Amino acid sequence: MVLSFKSWFANEGGKHFVLILWLGANAWLFLRTFLTYSTGQQYYYLYKMLGLGLCISRASASVLNLNCSLVLLPMCRSLLTCLRGTHTLSSRGTRRLLDKSKTFHVACGIAICIFSVVHVSAHLVNVVNFSAFYSEDLPALNLARYLGEDPRMIILTTVPGITGVLLVVILFLMFTASSYCIRLSNYEIFWYTHNLFIVFYIILMVHMVGGALKYQTNVDTHPPGCLRPNQSSPELQGEELEPGNEERRCKEEARFNPHYPQTWMWVSGPLCLYCAERFYRYIRSSDPVTIVTVIRHPSEVIEVRMLKRDFKAHPGQYIVLNCPGVSSFENHPFTLTTCPTEEKETFGVHMRVVGDWTERFTELLLPKTGVELEILPMVQQRRYPKLYVDGPFGSSSQEVFNYEVSLCVAGGIGVTPFACVLHALLDGWKQFRLRRLYFVWVCRELQSFYWFSELLCALHHKLWQENRPDYLNLKLFVSQTEDLQSMSEEKYRPLSSRLSIGRPRWKLLFDEISNANRQKHVGVFCCGPKGISRTLHKLCNSGRYTGVTFEFNKESFS
Amino acid sequence: MGKIEWAMWANEQALAAGLILLTGGIVGVGGMFRGWEFAAYSIAAGVFVCLLEYPRGKKNKGTSVERTGQYCFTVCVKAFGPLTRNYYVRAFIHAAIAVPAGFMLATVLGCVCLGIASLIYLGAAISGEKWEPILPRTETRKAVGESIKQPPQNPPPRPPAEMRRKRAEDLEGAAYDNPIKVSANDE
Repeated sequence: MVLSFKSWFANEGGKHFVLILWLGANAWLFLRTFLTYSTGQQYYYLYKMLGLGLCISRASASVLNLNCSLVLLPMCRSLLTCLRGTHTLSSRGTRRLLDKSKTFHVACGIAICIFSVVHVSAHLVNVVNFSAFYSEDLPALNLARYLGEDPRMIILTTVPGITGVLLVVILFLMFTASSYCIRLSNYEIFWYTHNLFIVFYIILMVHMVGGALKYQTNVDTHPPGCLRPNQSSPELQGEELEPGNEERRCKEEARFNPHYPQTWMWVSGPLCLYCAERFYRYIRSSDPVTIVTVIRHPSEVIEVRMLKRDFKAHPGQYIVLNCPGVSSFENHPFTLTTCPTEEKETFGVHMRVVGDWTERFTELLLPKTGVELEILPMVQQRRYPKLYVDGPFGSSSQEVFNYEVSLCVAGGIGVTPFACVLHALLDGWKQFRLRRLYFVWVCRELQSFYWFSELLCALHHKLWQENRPDYLNLKLFVSQTEDLQSMSEEKYRPLSSRLSIGRPRWKLLFDEISNANRQKHVGVFCCGPKGISRTLHKLCNSGRYTGVTFEFNKESFS
Repeated sequence: MGKIEWAMWANEQALAAGLILLTGGIVGVGGMFRGWEFAAYSIAAGVFVCLLEYPRGKKNKGTSVERTGQYCFTVCVKAFGPLTRNYYVRAFIHAAIAVPAGFMLATVLGCVCLGIASLIYLGAAISGEKWEPILPRTETRKAVGESIKQPPQNPPPRPPAEMRRKRAEDLEGAAYDNPIKVSANDE
């Protein structure tokens, strides 16, 4: 596929611009610190003792400072949700950058790991040099207590050494638990080790206490390299002192001061922001919700409708559920399928029962099928478990309304963000910028379509009544071709006539959309398996569709 | 909630520790620092640990994700039978390998990391986990013939072959009444 520059730039340009900015900032910081330590007058003696190890370790330390402060910012989810909603970020391109916040967090994390390796190696070399080049002339500069002290003793008896070892151990634990495989199978290990970050940051802020590296304070009165009073210059041995030589005599001994710890200046702002955000989320979610109804749908899906005081959400946002009756510390994200409106205050989620948390949660909510229900003389109210809701948090699907033409592709249960969009359109479609919506839903079984069949038909009828038949273009696909089925109910006629057997052919779909919507920006939203989103991403970047730009937005949780 | 599989985390840690040992060993030998024999040992130890830990084990439930190209390593590791299957043995091996690396500055980090991995393996062994190789399943492909095992029981509503064959000679006789009424307005 030919990559057209315009399409690629519309889709990938923003991300790559931020990446280049970030790399540039890191490179500039590294080089600036490196040059300060290798050419700075106040580090002359230290550089002579330690060599390149000094410059590399300090330069990597400054890069680490930057990345440790940046890594926390993308994780302030409530703040990002706020930014997405308000008009602070009025440009759609800037809002699309917020979709990539987790990727930026991962990039900063990887940078921290790489530069930690560099920093530790350089400091190990420094410790060896401190021991081997113990200076009798400048005793204040030494970290070792005597010439040839065992470097391992130096590490274990100084504050930077011990804190450094602890930091490396914590970073090792956090890094090894963050691989994709572990997040997929044992999310708890990832979550609990990642919460060690607070210990990491506290130790990081005291890492520099003790002042192992010192700089010279009196460079003007003792220019580095000057001759001591009882020393003579090697070149002028035996010659008369020239008048210019007087400046090369030291007026006083070199004095050294340790560095003031600087990390707290970089790190404390984002750390306070993140802690405030966690505290705010904890307060916000401490109010339990009232479960109003629980409905069992085919294909192992249940719908839970809830009520909460002062809960406002927009279509496309997701919430995080915590049920202490199932597990006290586990939090699971679910996209909202109905948002609270002025008329109806309940909101709901659809969840697929796969995995131990959802199975146990369903058991608590619904009686097991086949259990006989006793007919009691008194109506016994069903006792639902206590449920806490954190959120709502923003996601890329909120942008569906901000394009003139949108294509929403859903795979299986991935239809949930778009279901909320359709609900919002059912309440009123005129106030949005959206003029045409292509809705493609691919499921394995026909039964899955019954989750939202009423909603789809209702919206279809409403739009036809209001004389906008071209607003909603539905295409349903059943990907399992073994048992041929069809939706036989009459009321679901609009769906069964738009149902195809087999996988969708994306190129044809894109051709159809580009022919009908020339000179437009089409927003492509995908919530489904990786295979589909990769294909769609490639198609959006290819330049086959002249005049039409497809902008790709992907929603995912893992 | 749910059983945590510690062995997977220990595996990641041990692989990372092996790489750290290898790097530290290379630095130690390259700079010919004091105690470079320990560095040479830790190069060999790092390679051994990486080879042992590269193939991922099978998960108890759910799909297991393989590392790229791990099949040949899986076969080698499987050949050692209970030595590699049992996590107590692995914990002990890692602890034993880690100790000599602690004597040299360049490799001391690798020693600490491998020690932590060994502790987690011990925890995994105590909870009863075992290493199972991920082997490709021999998929029984459904033979094409099976899908047409059940021919349709009822023929479509048309007369049997004898009547159809007479169509060329007898045009009038070929017309027939469709047994099922076809009307324009379906229910």
